[in-house]
Amino acid sequence: MFLSRTQLIVALGAVALALYVLDLVRRRRLSEEYSLLWVMATSTIALLGFCTPLLLWVTSLLGIVGGAASTVFAFGLGFALLMLLYLSTKISRLAQQNHALTQELALLRHDLDRAARPREGA
Amino acid sequence: MSRVLVIVPAHDEAESLPRTLAEVRHAAPEVDLLVVDDGSHDGTADVARALGVPVLRHPVNLGVGGALQTGFRYAVREGYDVGVQLDADGQHDPRFLAAILAPVAEGRCDVSIGSRYVTRSGYRAPLARRAGMVIFSGLVRLALGQRIADTTSGFRAYTRPVMEVCQGEFPADFPDAPLLIALARRGFRLLEVPVEMRERTAGQSFYTLGKSLYYPYKNLVASLMAWIQRSH
Repeated sequence: MFLSRTQLIVALGAVALALYVLDLVRRRRLSEEYSLLWVMATSTIALLGFCTPLLLWVTSLLGIVGGAASTVFAFGLGFALLMLLYLSTKISRLAQQNHALTQELALLRHDLDRAARPREGA
Repeated sequence: MSRVLVIVPAHDEAESLPRTLAEVRHAAPEVDLLVVDDGSHDGTADVARALGVPVLRHPVNLGVGGALQTGFRYAVREGYDVGVQLDADGQHDPRFLAAILAPVAEGRCDVSIGSRYVTRSGYRAPLARRAGMVIFSGLVRLALGQRIADTTSGFRAYTRPVMEVCQGEFPADFPDAPLLIALARRGFRLLEVPVEMRERTAGQSFYTLGKSLYYPYKNLVASLMAWIQRSH
């Protein structure tokens, strides 16, 4: 049924990771937005790991020469790269928001001080 | 008479700030001052407040571009016509304020840049800096079709429309060449004005040694990005 021990390990690992993702969501440590991506990725890898005919079909379809296990890793790597890029965009956005909030805070603080001491500074 | 605000971004400049502020007041009593304390730990904000200068204080450090943008927000909100960026460390001689303000006030440009490299200046930069300057002014020239010799100069005057545009999209981490490219791409006219710059009197430059290798590379990429970025 399984082509190699690697395939089994990857498949079981993907299942374990998927369960961990669900647990993180349950404990509200991971927002739904990201959990969807992770669940999708882990189930794809688990599916490829457990369903050998599908794995062989995909491998021949993509013409991967390194063997069936390479297919699983290729999917994993592709997902990891996309996720990193996605996270970079999220960080950029967070940095921009942080930046704007810091500036707004400085301006408001100034207004507050000026309101408290109307005779000074201005 | 247009209302002018001199914006002084300051990060740990408590030592040199009093002299800089006093010089500005002496050279140009008619302009208003604003210090943007960019998350200092040495009481920069208190020093400025004690001198009766309005202070905006960032609780965390955003960098000189972020401090400048905060100054722009204040200037626009308070109805100033022109904003001048001037370093706290004493590099920028306030005696040249009038020279920098003139072309903006006369409507000859939207951004005037106090430049060390166009004639009359006694400043001679170190070799590495000159190399960087050639590369960046070359890039700016390619992008804008205009020669700007001193792209890193932080001694500039901006009209109100420029400050309004800078409220939104703004290359906050790269207030030098990328900012100039972004502004020129929006149709603003840049002009260089010869000034003399001095050695900094105290404190630390925003451009520290550790950043001196990586920064030009980042800046180059950011300049290219500013060139291709879509403005909405």
